[in-house]
Amino acid sequence: MSGALFIGVDVGSSATKCVILDQAGALKGHHVVASGFKYSDAVDTAITQSLLDAKGRKEDIAYCVSTGYGRKHVSCSDRVVTEISTHARGARAWNPAVRTIIDIGGQDTKIICIDDHGQLLDYRMNAKCAAGTGTFLESIAVKLGMTLAALDKLAMQSTDPTVVNSYCTVFAGTEVIERIKAGQAPEDIAMGLFRSIATRIKEMIPGRSGAFGATGGVVQHCQAMILTLEETLGGEILKAPMPQHAGAYGAALLALESHAKKGSEVDHAPTG
Amino acid sequence: MSTIAKRVPINARKKLQSLMREYFVSLDAAAADSDRRVAWCTSVGPCEILSAMGYEVYFPENHGALLGARKISHECIPAAVGVGYCAESCSYMTSDIGAALSGISPLTEAFGIAGPPKPDLLSYSTNQCREVQDWWNFFGRRHDAPVMGIRPPSHLGQVTDAHVAFVRGELNQLITRIESHSGTKLDWSRLETVVDLSSRASSLWRQVLDLAQAQPSPITFFDGLIHMAPVILMRGSQEAIDYYDMLLAEMNERVEEGTAAVPNERFRVYWDGMPVWPKVRELSEKFFDLGVSIAASTYCNSWAFEEYDGGDPLEWMARTSTEIFINRDETFKQQFLLDMCKRFSIDGLIFHNARTCPNNTNSRFGMAQRLRDEAGMPVLVFDGDLSDSRFFSTAQTMTNIEAFVEQLEGCCQ
Repeated sequence: MSGALFIGVDVGSSATKCVILDQAGALKGHHVVASGFKYSDAVDTAITQSLLDAKGRKEDIAYCVSTGYGRKHVSCSDRVVTEISTHARGARAWNPAVRTIIDIGGQDTKIICIDDHGQLLDYRMNAKCAAGTGTFLESIAVKLGMTLAALDKLAMQSTDPTVVNSYCTVFAGTEVIERIKAGQAPEDIAMGLFRSIATRIKEMIPGRSGAFGATGGVVQHCQAMILTLEETLGGEILKAPMPQHAGAYGAALLALESHAKKGSEVDHAPTG
Repeated sequence: MSTIAKRVPINARKKLQSLMREYFVSLDAAAADSDRRVAWCTSVGPCEILSAMGYEVYFPENHGALLGARKISHECIPAAVGVGYCAESCSYMTSDIGAALSGISPLTEAFGIAGPPKPDLLSYSTNQCREVQDWWNFFGRRHDAPVMGIRPPSHLGQVTDAHVAFVRGELNQLITRIESHSGTKLDWSRLETVVDLSSRASSLWRQVLDLAQAQPSPITFFDGLIHMAPVILMRGSQEAIDYYDMLLAEMNERVEEGTAAVPNERFRVYWDGMPVWPKVRELSEKFFDLGVSIAASTYCNSWAFEEYDGGDPLEWMARTSTEIFINRDETFKQQFLLDMCKRFSIDGLIFHNARTCPNNTNSRFGMAQRLRDEAGMPVLVFDGDLSDSRFFSTAQTMTNIEAFVEQLEGCCQ
């Protein structure tokens, strides 16, 4: 492999994602790994595996942008940017029509609004608790003794979703048990959980203008999430090509741009 | 290329420390002396009347803030919740009540005194919130001391003469009740003197805050949180005037020399709502590192009153305490914020949504969105609390702040 590589690393609370682009902005490699206890180990693994995917070497890395909650734990980072800006940048590239990005991550859910030029207009993050996040679904799936994928599969069979009211993950879990005891169909309860996230998201959207795009691990792995978002928000939800990597992809694009800007600054540096 | 900026300390702070020590030690001595009397008062309450009648005045809200700033509120609040005070009601109140029940006070470590002085009476005004009356009532029962309050009309658009006359009447009744309890008649000429002193300190404080219109700003919201202590605690004293004379001179010097509170000031931001006392240092450092100067705030301006120009001192007290921002309606508040943003050349606005302080949180009825649209500037609303750190997420807030600055970079540079 020859030529410069541009890396975006998104160190999330649940997973660390890496995306590698070449000078033309073409995708060359990517990888996702659990963030675990030590961010630096997860970052090393994500970068090493992505480089293998891209058939590149560490020396080929021309510029690296890190993002996500662990964004300051990436030792090779040239620039640190919040995941809000990287998602905005990524969405602009994967579908320029997108104006509102819904990112459902492990720790939080973000709503990011951009204008016609990709400029950040507004953003919202859920309050501290897990309601409305991937962790909410994972936690209840564990309580029910199933994986997130199994919960999604079950939800897709629903015909009459249950309403889950509680804002609190623990109380929502209790509510699920009550619904089971009341004899409600498991698939309807499962879809009710996805719908409760969609309802939280609806509360966070400042107003509709332009297309919705969805990113994040839950969007990547759960078809039920897209379906219920479309029902709740009343319109098509455009799914990012690699939903879980959307932040890392935006970061890689910013790496490419930052590198070009750095070069042009050097080119135009005053002499004498 | 990054530049490592250094904070230029404000010299007046040394004087402030000794003033604060003298104030608390004197209060402690007054509480132990049967010839001296202590009154508790709300921060924008009728303290001038109390001072004029010979009471030494203590402000429990300051204790609530200290409990938060010293990061001990979370140890105190459970005790208050245990005796029936809701964990989501004012955390100044729950931490202060909990501290009393647990025998904890930051005043011990800071000033070597046992804790808050025992009151001979407690006086409040609900011009800031209704919680203060229940807070004061707890301590009234605990210390077997009378609680005397006034309840001005609230959420006002315009403050009319009728409003002022009503509050003046309430203040008059309060004086009668205090006279009856203490057996001492109010010396009206003494009240005029105290009101004059109070107004002069407040006016000087306003001038200090107004100097932040300079670019770069010589003082930030975080500095203001420290230096506003005398205008609250020592209002009506010559010491407060002398202190603000000194601080104003230093700030004028800073403006003339171009000394910035944030040396590489890139953006100027307005802070609405309460401080996050347990996180003041972290937030101050974060904004400093990002080159953001919080040049103006609603909170620090809460004690910048109109000047007293002689005449009826009760009318001045009635008018100024009714006109305060927190006691006004949404339309007034929105216009006030817009004017402040203009006066201080603000690039963006931050609203602190304080979980336990709905009355001093202004982002709950759409104002943040309206201001963003009207002022055309980035607006950030973040969740936190004034004293209970359990309602604050450091990681989420810091991400929010960094993204806010990225947004400012996108639209202002």
